[in-house]
Amino acid sequence: MNKIIRHSLLYVLVALVVSIVLVPLMYLTTISLSSNIELGDFPKNFIPNLTVELEAEWDEDREAFTIYRYATKERRQALYRSDNFEEMARYFERYLNIYTEPEVLENDIEPIRETDEVIELRYRKNLFANYQKFFEIFSGARDALINSILAVFYTILLSLSIGGAVGYTLARTKIKGKETIGLAALVVRMFPIISISVPMAILLIRYGMFDTMLGLAFIYSIPNIGLTAWITRSIFLGIDKELEEASYVFGATKLRTLRSITIPLVIPGFAAASMYAFIIAWNDAAVALLLTDRNETLALLIFRSIGATGAIHYASAGAIILIIPALIFTFLLKDYINRIWG
Amino acid sequence: MSKRKTVIHSIKRIVKSPYMLLLPALLFYLLFWLLPVVMSIFQSFTTVDGTPTLQNFINMFNESRFMRALINTLVFAVVSLTLQFFLAILLALLINKKFKGSRLFLFFMIIPMALPQAAVGILWNTGLTEAGWLNSLFHVTGLQTVLESLGVLDGRTLWTNVTGTRAVMTIVLIDTWTVLPSVMIIILAGLQNFNRELSEAAQVFGASRGRAVKDIVIPIIKPSIVTALLLRLIAGLQVWLISVMIFGYGRVPYLLERVVYYMSVVARTDANYRMAVSYSVFTLFVILTVAFLFVRLTSGKTEWRKADE
Repeated sequence: MNKIIRHSLLYVLVALVVSIVLVPLMYLTTISLSSNIELGDFPKNFIPNLTVELEAEWDEDREAFTIYRYATKERRQALYRSDNFEEMARYFERYLNIYTEPEVLENDIEPIRETDEVIELRYRKNLFANYQKFFEIFSGARDALINSILAVFYTILLSLSIGGAVGYTLARTKIKGKETIGLAALVVRMFPIISISVPMAILLIRYGMFDTMLGLAFIYSIPNIGLTAWITRSIFLGIDKELEEASYVFGATKLRTLRSITIPLVIPGFAAASMYAFIIAWNDAAVALLLTDRNETLALLIFRSIGATGAIHYASAGAIILIIPALIFTFLLKDYINRIWG
Repeated sequence: MSKRKTVIHSIKRIVKSPYMLLLPALLFYLLFWLLPVVMSIFQSFTTVDGTPTLQNFINMFNESRFMRALINTLVFAVVSLTLQFFLAILLALLINKKFKGSRLFLFFMIIPMALPQAAVGILWNTGLTEAGWLNSLFHVTGLQTVLESLGVLDGRTLWTNVTGTRAVMTIVLIDTWTVLPSVMIIILAGLQNFNRELSEAAQVFGASRGRAVKDIVIPIIKPSIVTALLLRLIAGLQVWLISVMIFGYGRVPYLLERVVYYMSVVARTDANYRMAVSYSVFTLFVILTVAFLFVRLTSGKTEWRKADE
């Protein structure tokens, strides 16, 4: 009996912790899918509405149709009044995220002009409307997305080439001062990257790389090269040296051995290192804020979008776009997670 | 002739030596790390035309938000670290059992850590407003009525409308939400490495459960945790982004918030740049000092334990 109680208490605790993590994210997702009108609702929906239920009535005095919506079960809210279906369709698209043809609305609503009754309407919401509108409202979003991808690409290129060489040297050659290199890597990692970004702004202007993605990639590579060196070192150490020696015995050159034996074995390690590079470059807004001017990255654009009033649902859509790749790459890296932690 | 040959020979040897593979990394860190670090320290101690001065730091100390920024940064780092550490240990000890769905549980726990900070800022911005999801959640679950009858809340709260220490605590809670699951995973991993029999043996010999945790569990999982906590502490001292997304610049100052403020919010003048550099060098100093103290404190304890044995 005691055991059962303890067991169920454990599950209650686990469920509580999981919901503390997931509930805010669920709300964010729902807000990113909600229309302009829904944004004003209280309490906010936990689960997104897939359809919109409305009522329409013919207003004799004003000679127009009135569209109503139930914000809560009791509270009917007049939304819009018009007898022009073109305008009504535009309103539906803009404020309710309903993408429909004026003819459809006319078909549905026009009959009540004569009968004077109230009709219930039900339309499918365009779930991804905010995701489209995000790119329209924040005009630089498309470029920012491309910039983020570029910054990621350059960071991967720099970290893998420079860090991979260090990892190989540490694993395969007898050089002096390996401990010093390890210590230096730790010190570099401890330094706040933003402190380096301040003088870097001036240096990058001098190097002609201010406001470029390559310039950002150089900063992102600072922690990443060390990390890549560390990962590739352990990979190179793990490869059976005899395989390579066998390759030499059969007359392969050093380069050929590297190409056809060593590199295929190292690819998983390099993949892991690139994912780290991806996460660092993709998630950063702080360095980008200091070192770019017009060329924003997506994370920076999301950071700045906070000031735009009445656009939090579009910003939320943008945040979800930012989150998804970061999540995917973090899950792919799950096994290494302890090591980037911090 | 032979002299020339040896020169060529030694050049060949240098080019072929393994150190050459380290050269790009060396150049990279000289140019993109050491140079800016040295440059910022140099700039913080000089005027625009290069004469040495302490005026930059005097200006910084006299800046109206300096003290607040320093205190907020330290309070944030210490409180968030302590809170996260103890909550994580507690949760990890409670959950340290194999249960159905524990893999799925760990899967969910990784999510907050993966989120970009800018996205976390948006997430909590949608939550802390008057009609935000936090108030909605309270309303729907009936927590609102409970808290109102207890006198804790009075109607729908605008959570961003706090100042001073309470604003710092708000960011501590957000940070804890983001980081706690991963601290817990690290501690769980440490616990799973350690042999359960040890703790049972201690209890057989009459140690209480609390004592077994303190004297056996903690020392064994310590090495992995200390590094993790050090990195957390350093990260904590660099707080600013989420706070700015929620409170804006200036209202709840932090050291790095000041750096960013003088770099990208106000006009780009020499005076503002010197202010940013001074703040950034000062932050560096604070981080190194705190990290040093932390290492001394944690390693000191281990030695004391050994002596005790």
